[in-house]
Amino acid sequence: MLVHSIVRTAVASAALLGGIAHAAPVKIGLVETLSGPQASSGQAYRAGVRYAIDRLNAAGGWNGESVQLLEYDNQGGPAGASDKLKAAIADGVQIVVQGSSSAIGGQVTEDVRKHNLRNPGKEIVYINVGAEALELTGEKCNFHHFRFAGNAQVRVKALVDGMKQANALGTKVYAINQNYSWGQDVEQAVVDNQAYGGYKVVEKTLHDVNKIQDFAPYIAKIGASGAETVITGNWSNDLLLLMKASKAGGLKARFGTVYLDQPGNIANAGELAAGHFIVHAFNAEAGGAEGQRFVDDYKAKMGHVPVFVEPQTVFAIEMVAEALKRSKPEGGALNANAFAKTLESTKITTPVGEWSVRASDHQALLPMVVSMVSKDAKYKADDTAFGFKPVKVFSAEQAAAPAQASCKMQRPG
Amino acid sequence: MDAVVFAVLNGVIYGLLLFMVSAGLTLIFGMMGVLNFAHASFYMLGAYFAYALQGLVGFAGAVVLSTLLVGGVGVVVERGFLRRVHRHGHAHELLLTFGLSFIVAELVKLFFGNYPVDYRVPKALDFAAFAVGTQQYPVYRVLMGGIALLMFAAIYLLLTRTRIGIVVRAAIYRPRMVEALGHHVQLVFMGVFGIGAALAGLAGAVAGAFYTTNPNMALEIGVMVFVVVVVGGLGSLAGAMLASLLIGILTSLAVGVDASIADLAALVGAREWAQGIGGLLTLKLSSLAATIPFALMLLVLLLRPSGLMGERT
Repeated sequence: MLVHSIVRTAVASAALLGGIAHAAPVKIGLVETLSGPQASSGQAYRAGVRYAIDRLNAAGGWNGESVQLLEYDNQGGPAGASDKLKAAIADGVQIVVQGSSSAIGGQVTEDVRKHNLRNPGKEIVYINVGAEALELTGEKCNFHHFRFAGNAQVRVKALVDGMKQANALGTKVYAINQNYSWGQDVEQAVVDNQAYGGYKVVEKTLHDVNKIQDFAPYIAKIGASGAETVITGNWSNDLLLLMKASKAGGLKARFGTVYLDQPGNIANAGELAAGHFIVHAFNAEAGGAEGQRFVDDYKAKMGHVPVFVEPQTVFAIEMVAEALKRSKPEGGALNANAFAKTLESTKITTPVGEWSVRASDHQALLPMVVSMVSKDAKYKADDTAFGFKPVKVFSAEQAAAPAQASCKMQRPG
Repeated sequence: MDAVVFAVLNGVIYGLLLFMVSAGLTLIFGMMGVLNFAHASFYMLGAYFAYALQGLVGFAGAVVLSTLLVGGVGVVVERGFLRRVHRHGHAHELLLTFGLSFIVAELVKLFFGNYPVDYRVPKALDFAAFAVGTQQYPVYRVLMGGIALLMFAAIYLLLTRTRIGIVVRAAIYRPRMVEALGHHVQLVFMGVFGIGAALAGLAGAVAGAFYTTNPNMALEIGVMVFVVVVVGGLGSLAGAMLASLLIGILTSLAVGVDASIADLAALVGAREWAQGIGGLLTLKLSSLAATIPFALMLLVLLLRPSGLMGERT
């Protein structure tokens, strides 16, 4: 009885579908942290994705149809992400986009890998736009994961190089980071780059993630170490509180950061941010006229200028759009494996340089900009007098760090 | 030596800040038996009110006004919400304050956005009070500590040396008896709730400028405040003070200690073995600094469930 009704439903819906649609639209699922304490990061990724997909659809979408963007709230944790990934797969999503938190990224990439093993012919592709832990392109690397963001080795190498060329690095460096995959990677990268940057790591500290209110004890420790430069991968409150405490404690050290451009940081830090450094994937001033055009268009569409992780997310989705353009539909639908192969050879030109992907570990090769917080910057941050003045632009080849030996990628036949 | 003096000083001031927030919580619990989950939200509201008002009335005025405003919000919450569900029991009151904390957080995001707002220590207070070695000590931290001490003295004197204090303390233990004696117990409850909220608001207005004012600040301090109240003993003001200082100083000192269990094992010549095992044994104490309060809470709950200075079990 049950079998009968299922068959009947299947036949009916097949007839229905066959009657209306001849091609299935490509569905892109954003599985991000859209509520809860870390929602601000997730919403920044969402803005970038929305902008890029609107552009893709304005240019005609794929196979004569608009690409659909479905949004899922992972509620800030791997468990929620795993659940929502299942929902997305059930909804027919073929491309999953996620960025904030390497912990969530680790869960998504594992789930995607298992799904693809168990469901040949129905593969999905994971577009990682911001989870920067090394393991994602190391032990956990897999054919259907693409990281369109930096990683600790890339970021720290560029930062060290840029600060050295600006004569701001000094010879004594202190590494303070959050105690989880990303922070540990940054600490390791700071240690690894000692010979390259000509400095010595005087001390390193790992601390709990977003739990500490009072950084004064850490600042006392940094002061006592005699460090000239502090390199940190901290983000959100952990970065802001660290910098505020350093100002209050009269610490003279210079900061090299990754996430200083998160909205609110410059407004909150005020003058004390001046002279500190950041390594980021995009700086409009470094992009010249193209950079200006991108910023203007983004502002017109989204209501604010692209900052923080938004530019890198836009470029990541533009890579996807470019690969889609080069993918031919098979039986009216997208073949995920063929799409992933196409993505491996895709290149785009962004205002600060060319983006591509390394086929061996699916790490994007992207340009890096090292900037200093200064009043001379063309684009101001957070409506203050300060902005990020580019110090040095590294091309994708210059910024790249070698692929990790631990990546053993299984490619589909 | 400098480093230790500094660490202790830092710890004391941070402890005093924790006390400012937890004082109200422990008072409210002592009085009404309600663990107020929305208490840290009052702390956040204090910071945001002060941020919104500082342009109009200056920093000092904003701190005073926001304290009063948050006190007012507390009164409304008690009068309009908690009193209505009181007869359904503590579970309902707990759930109500829990829900309230979410609503406050979302409202703050709605009005002030997702990111930290530009609320900073005013220029006039932004200088070093003194220096120990190469380290400067900001005057604002000293000020925060001073405010907390004043507050402790004021509440302590109010509770132990005045008639109002006698009524309040009596209402904590025997509310029906106090009512029978002709005192308006509902009013006392409302007053205590309002003052408790105002104290958290004051702490928020003062600390929000020094740390950050963002929609997560309630969450960040909330957990620690509960730890303070549990360690100190639910309902005990002196206990809250003791626990705050203990937690502040312990975390601050722990940051400076890079030792691990492996170093301890070295005393009996087992360092190699411990390092071979790795994991927990080689974890540095400094990387666990923020976890120490929770370990302390566990210890206190095991050895002295009523808290360091709690009277009831």
